[in-house]
Amino acid sequence: MILGYLGAGALLAALVMGGFSSLLSFWSGIRQSETFIQVGRRAFYAAAAMTFLSAVVLEVALLTHDFSLAYVVEHTDLSTPTALVAAAFYGGQEGSLLYWTVILGILGSASLLASASLGGRVAAYAAGILASILTFFLFVLAVVASPFDVLSVTPPDGLGLNPILRDGGMLIHPPVVLAGFASFAIPFSFACAALLARRVDAAWITHTRRFALLAWSLQTTGLLLGMWWAYHVLGWGGYWGWDPVENVALMPWLATTAYLHSSQVQERRGRLRLWNFGLVITAFLLVVFGTFIVRSGVVPSVHTFAISAIGPWFFGFLVVCLLFSALLLTLRSNLGVEAKPAPAVSREGAFVLQNLLLLGVVAVVMWGTVLPLVSGMFGVQRVAGASFYERAAGPLLAAILALLAVGPLLPWRHAGRATLRALRWPVAAAIVALMVLLIAGVPSAPALVAFPLAAAAGATALTEYARAALRKPRSILRKRRRYGAYLAHLGLVVAVTGVAASHFGQQVKDVTLQPGEAVTVAGYSLTYTGSEQRQLTDHTEFVAGMRFGDQTLEPSRATYAGLGGQALTHVAISTTPTADVYVVLAGTNPDGSATFRVFVNPLVIFIWAGGAVIILGVLLGNVGERSAAMELARRRIPVTLPA
Amino acid sequence: MRWGLPGAVVAACVGYLIYSASGGATEYYMTVSELQAHATAGDVRVAGVVQDDVHKSDGLHVTFTEKDGTASMPVQYTGTLPDIFKPGITVVVEGKLGGDGVFHARTLLAKCPSRFSTQPYVK
Repeated sequence: MILGYLGAGALLAALVMGGFSSLLSFWSGIRQSETFIQVGRRAFYAAAAMTFLSAVVLEVALLTHDFSLAYVVEHTDLSTPTALVAAAFYGGQEGSLLYWTVILGILGSASLLASASLGGRVAAYAAGILASILTFFLFVLAVVASPFDVLSVTPPDGLGLNPILRDGGMLIHPPVVLAGFASFAIPFSFACAALLARRVDAAWITHTRRFALLAWSLQTTGLLLGMWWAYHVLGWGGYWGWDPVENVALMPWLATTAYLHSSQVQERRGRLRLWNFGLVITAFLLVVFGTFIVRSGVVPSVHTFAISAIGPWFFGFLVVCLLFSALLLTLRSNLGVEAKPAPAVSREGAFVLQNLLLLGVVAVVMWGTVLPLVSGMFGVQRVAGASFYERAAGPLLAAILALLAVGPLLPWRHAGRATLRALRWPVAAAIVALMVLLIAGVPSAPALVAFPLAAAAGATALTEYARAALRKPRSILRKRRRYGAYLAHLGLVVAVTGVAASHFGQQVKDVTLQPGEAVTVAGYSLTYTGSEQRQLTDHTEFVAGMRFGDQTLEPSRATYAGLGGQALTHVAISTTPTADVYVVLAGTNPDGSATFRVFVNPLVIFIWAGGAVIILGVLLGNVGERSAAMELARRRIPVTLPA
Repeated sequence: MRWGLPGAVVAACVGYLIYSASGGATEYYMTVSELQAHATAGDVRVAGVVQDDVHKSDGLHVTFTEKDGTASMPVQYTGTLPDIFKPGITVVVEGKLGGDGVFHARTLLAKCPSRFSTQPYVK
């Protein structure tokens, strides 16, 4: 009980400090009062610290099973393992918002600490905007969806966590995704601050890029972990279902991918200034939009979210952010005027085209996500299935893959004959891949496009490495950012190969087997050896044995008596170098037979491995790296513009 | 080069892709009573609550009645069932309503009681 009051008190204190920081920072930024800028920033740190304190209180309440708090009762019980009790912190609506706010406070503080080089005004406005966003979240937490609501009667035990969520994935996927979502606010705040202060020079890009890269890396990791979790737990043989919840996590990622590429055009050539602001702002607006969509229940999703009171508040917040950004971009549109046009066939041109294509994918995903909402206004609701996304986004993704092969070979400014010669390796790789596929008798046209393009893109990245290794091996270490990016490209090619192979090559078979009987799927033979029933503390498990080579796979179904007989399927997956053999126990029958659904998913491991390489490339390329913009600033190349 | 022209070209392509995919690759999403009011030829998704008459002939073949308050329809489905499938939950079936009045489901999704609890504890 005392913890409830302590936590609510800390939230209230954070709310007051946040509001104070917001007002003071804007005011001191306008007045350019260095002292008050400092005070405003410290008020932000104080708000972040109080938010952190309330998070500690909630975690203590969870771990000590303080069932006087509604949140603790709704998400845990005495039998929940300790790690999952701790994870329940972000397992519910209110707690996940608190987690989000804590991350915003921590990363926001870090970004403000690092913002000294930007000059008083930008730093002050950034603090003001960050504090405003923080204040909005704290207001929702303190007033609309408090995790510290105290029950009038303290129950002896809680309701517990759904068994589907009682999994290791619960410990890693949600915190990374939520941290990713929270971190998009930082590039947004600095972009808006720079626009407000009319500072569009290199220092802005350097600072924003660093945090955009952090947000992007968190979101990449979060998306991959989510796919991995869905694949290993849900038992439908896939990892991506185009559900609104997945879509809204993908869209800001796509917009930030565009920004990370186009910001280089500004760093190197001073172009696309306004465009870059637009991308950073778009990414954040997509985050707010996604949060509204997911947590208000306005579109049908397989994920059911509590229809809670926070929906209208987030809608209001979205409208305010949208109007503010649109107004800001309109008022500062003169900052985007560029000296002279750039030639189309150049690195700049490739980046612009890639950006447009990525935004095209965002448009497709957005349309598919809001279609039920829009069509519902004009009659019967329509929903977009996976085939909508494949047909509409597929060609755009193929074009992006083609650019991945061509773009890195194009020089800045304009391309000449040398570029055509450089293209010979990717073209050769694509032709070889196409021949191999044709000889292997692959009939699917999309597969015949996807694999050769992936091969070409891979060849391009490898050519860049080979060229550097032959001429100036040390440049690979010196230009870390560039070669880190090529490593990320290679990782993407590997992941795309895995996605394409598992998408085009998946085989499924439903089969009912008597003990001793075997089934063969895509050349993999499995023998059913019989099933047994195991009684565990809170659930009963039916385990079937499947002999596969020299291993035994054990797909199973657990039934939780305490939760109204809810069942939970455990998929058995055996990863071979070329495919995953993925066995789901559909049921056991009275005659001793068992029914299985067996998937053979080619090259799924490429997706996880490729994802790891992407993250590795980003880390190797950027941690401790001095950016190109810093170099330009150091060499005193003027990039500041007239106001 | 001004970026307006490539922008317009890409926008037109994206618009065309969305338009053409919307025609064939989107489905109606309705309740049982809406389905009975508008007969549609293509695949549809129908949401409703699973009734008590669930019959599984083995792990993969299942028949049950789906109801949405007023209207109900029999559903036939072959495939793995979601873990939380049981009478009383809301499911979304995707498939066609046959001439015999039985809905032949190709996929069956259960509303996932995910991270955010559906039944708030009485405060």
